[in-house]
Amino acid sequence: MTPLSLTLRRNPFARIDMSPLTPDRLAGLGRDAIARIMLACGRQRIRVSELFDIAGRDASLLRIRRATVQLFRVGFQMQSGSVEIAGNAGDNLGERIQGGEIRVRGDAGEWVGASMLGGNITVQGNVGDRAGAALPGQLIGMKGGLILVVGNAGDRVGERMRGGTIVTLGDTGSYLACRMRAGTIIAMGRTGPHIGIGMRRGTLVMGRKPAAMPTGFRSAGALKMEFLRLLFKQLGTVQTRLALFRSFGPEAIRMAGDLSVGGKGEILVLLNGSQGQTK
Amino acid sequence: MLIKLTNGTIFDPVHRLDGEQRNIFMENGRIIRAPASTRKIDREYDISGHVVMAGGIDIHTHIGGGKVNIARILLPEDHQRDPVAPSPHRRGGSGHVVPSTFVTGHRYAEMGFTACFEPAMLPANARQAHMEMADIPIVDAGAYVLMGNDDFLLQLLSQGADQSLITDYVAWTIRATQALGVKVVNPGGISAFKFNQRRLDLDEQHAVYSITPRSILQSLCTAVHELGLPHPLHVHGCNLGIPGNDVTTLDTIAAVDGLRMHLTHVQFHAYGKEGDRKFSSGAARIAERINGSPNISLDVGQIMFGQTITASGDTMLQHREAKHAHPKKTVIMDIECDAGCGIVPFLYRDKNYVNALQWCIGLELYLLINDPWRIFLTTDHPNGAPFTSYPHLIRLLMDREFRLEMLAALHPAARAHSILSSLTREYSLYEIAIMTRAAPARSLGLHDRGHLGVGAAADVVVYRPRKNREEMFSRPRFVFKDGKLVVQDGRITDSPAGVVHRVTPEFDGSIERRLQRYFEKFHTVRLGNFRLGDDELLGYGRTALSTHPCRPG
Repeated sequence: MTPLSLTLRRNPFARIDMSPLTPDRLAGLGRDAIARIMLACGRQRIRVSELFDIAGRDASLLRIRRATVQLFRVGFQMQSGSVEIAGNAGDNLGERIQGGEIRVRGDAGEWVGASMLGGNITVQGNVGDRAGAALPGQLIGMKGGLILVVGNAGDRVGERMRGGTIVTLGDTGSYLACRMRAGTIIAMGRTGPHIGIGMRRGTLVMGRKPAAMPTGFRSAGALKMEFLRLLFKQLGTVQTRLALFRSFGPEAIRMAGDLSVGGKGEILVLLNGSQGQTK
Repeated sequence: MLIKLTNGTIFDPVHRLDGEQRNIFMENGRIIRAPASTRKIDREYDISGHVVMAGGIDIHTHIGGGKVNIARILLPEDHQRDPVAPSPHRRGGSGHVVPSTFVTGHRYAEMGFTACFEPAMLPANARQAHMEMADIPIVDAGAYVLMGNDDFLLQLLSQGADQSLITDYVAWTIRATQALGVKVVNPGGISAFKFNQRRLDLDEQHAVYSITPRSILQSLCTAVHELGLPHPLHVHGCNLGIPGNDVTTLDTIAAVDGLRMHLTHVQFHAYGKEGDRKFSSGAARIAERINGSPNISLDVGQIMFGQTITASGDTMLQHREAKHAHPKKTVIMDIECDAGCGIVPFLYRDKNYVNALQWCIGLELYLLINDPWRIFLTTDHPNGAPFTSYPHLIRLLMDREFRLEMLAALHPAARAHSILSSLTREYSLYEIAIMTRAAPARSLGLHDRGHLGVGAAADVVVYRPRKNREEMFSRPRFVFKDGKLVVQDGRITDSPAGVVHRVTPEFDGSIERRLQRYFEKFHTVRLGNFRLGDDELLGYGRTALSTHPCRPG
C-alpha cells in the first residue's frame, strides 16, 4: 500500500491543531473517514478535506507535504508509525509522543518533543525554544526518546528534562540544560549563556568549550570516560546520521554541578569535539 | 413578557410550601400574582410533576480575587484537561477545579445556582475581585471583605482603641470595597506568620501586637453586630486542619458571648486527637454545641475525593500543608500587608485514613446538626472539592443506601472511627431547599432571593424528579434567572449578567482623616483611589447594585 499523504492546499488563515492526525489514530480509517475529520483552525473547525489533498492509504507512514508553521501539534501523543513532514512544522511538534518516528525536512517551532515519553524526532532545519522541555504546568520535561536537531536550536533546550536524549548539531541558545533532572543532551555547536542553571543530575556533552565556565559548576579536570565511548557507539546504531560520533574520543573535561542546588549533574566538554565540525 | 409555569411541585420553605402544586407567574424579572384571566400569557411551560425551587445560593465559594488567578496559573494542566468550546450562547473557557470565569458562571447555572458569594476578598484586591466576578455570567455575586490581619486594625486593637473607632473602620472598609459582609481568617495568625509564629491559638499572644485572636474576633463580631449587617461575622477560625482543633472551635463559639457568628468550613475545624493515629472526629461534640447555640450558623466545607486545589488567605496553614502538595508546587505569598495568600494543590484519596475521615466528618456534621436553617451546603470550592460536586453531595445527604455504599469503599480504619454508618437521617427535598436556597438568602439578608413569593426575583429552577438525586440536581430541566430562561435540559440558552449584592452601613466619617495618614505613610495606593465607587462597579458589566439594609443596634 502507498503511504497516506496529505498535501496542504494553501496556507491556512489560522493555526491548525493537527493532533487528530497521527498514524495510530488514523489506522484502519478509509479515505472518506479521514476526509471528514474536523480540525480546529483558530476558533473554527474545518474538515481535513478542505485543507488537504488526500492520497494513498497506508496511515502507518503519514506524509504531510507543503507543511507550514501553521500546523501545530503534529504527532501529538502518537504511539507508533511514522510521520514525514515536507516543509516546516509549527509549535509542539511531537508533544507527549510515546513512540514512532517524526522526520521534518524543514524547520520546526517551539516545544519540539515537549514532555515526550519515547520515539524519535528528527528535524533537518532549525527548531525554536524549549525543545524537549516541560510543558506549562508540568514539573518534568522529556522523559524518553530521542530528538535530533541538525540545525540550530533556540533557548532552554531540555529544560526540566528527565530522561532520553537530545542531540543538536548546530548552535543552541541560552539556558541550555537548565533545571535538568536526568537524561543526556549533546550540543555540538556554539552555546549561549546560563548553561545548566539549576541542573540536578543528567549529562550535557558539549562539542565546543563554552564561552565562560558555567556558574555553579566546578571543573574536575580532563578525564578519559568509557561512558562516552559506549554512548557514541550506541547512538551510531540508532541513527545513521549519528554515526559520525564514532570518531569522537572518550577524553573530556568534566564539570560538576549545579552546586548552588546541590546538583550532581555533569557537563562534559569533548577534547576533540570541535575538529569534528559536523555541519 | 409574561411567563407561566403550570402545575409545578413547589418547594419554598420561606412560604412553608413543601411539595404543593401551584402555578408560578413571572414578568419583568419578578414573580407576580396570578394575572387577570383576560391577560395573554406569552409563554407557558407545562411542568406537572416537576420539582420547582428558587435559584440556588452558594454562600461560600472562592470565585474571585487574586488567589483564584494564582491557582489557575499554578495548575495549567487543569485547564488543558478540561476545555469548554464556545457556542452561540456561551463563551468558551477551561478548567475543572478552578474554571475560568465564564465556565464558572455557566456551570453554576447548569446546576440551578443563581447566586455565589466570594468569602475572602482582600481590601487591596477588591477592585480586581469585583472585575473578575463581573465576568462571571448569569449568577449574582457579592463578597465578604477580609479583615482581622491588617496592620491598621491590629494597631488600633493593641493601642486599646475604642470599639466605636473599630466599628467605623469596619464600616468604612465595607463601603470602600463594596462588600456584603465581613470575614476573618485565622484572626491575627496571618500577621503573626510574618513575624515567624507558626501557630497562634485562640488565646496566644501575637509576637508584635499585644493582642490575641480572641480579642480580634470579639471586636469584629461586636462591630458587625453594632452595624447591624444582615450576615454575621464569617469566621475561619484558628488552627485549621490541626488535630485537636475541635476544642478551639468550641472555645471560639463560647468567645463571642451569644453574638451571631457564622463558622465557615467547619469540617476542617472539627478534628479530635484520639486514637492510635491521633486524628479523630470531633463532629459530634461540635454538632451538639451548635444545636444548642441558636446564634451560630455554619457551612461545612465537605471534601470529595479527587484532585483539587486549596486556596486560602491563611498562609500559616498553607505553609504547614505545603509538604502535602500534589502535584508538588505551592504559592505562599503576602498581599499588600493586608493578609496573605496560600495556594496548595491537593489530592484527596479515599484510601488515605485522614482524607477518608475528613469525608466522614463533613457528612457527620450535615447529619447531626438538626436545623437546616443554620447549616449551608458547601465544599468550600475549590478547597474541599470543586462546586460541580454539589449534586453528588446532595445525593449523599438524601440517600442513605448510596452513602453506605460510598462509605464501604473507604479506608477501613476511618470507617471504624466514624459514626457515619449509624446515622439514618436522610435529607428531604424541603430541607435541601432550605439549606441551598432559603437559609443562605436569609443569612445574607437577600430579601428577594431564595424564595418564590410574589415580588421575589424570578430566579426559578425546575428539576425533573429522579430517584437518583445526583442526576436530578446536576441537570435541571429549566433555569430562569431574573425571568430569563438561561438553561434548558443542561444547555445554556442565554448568558445575561447578574447583579452585585452589597451593604452600605453608616459610619462616622472622621475615621477617614486617620486612614488618610495611614494610607499616605504605608499604602501603595492613595485613599481616594482605593475606594470603589458605584459607577465604577457598574462599569464592569453588572446590571445593577442590590443594596441590602443594615439594622443597627
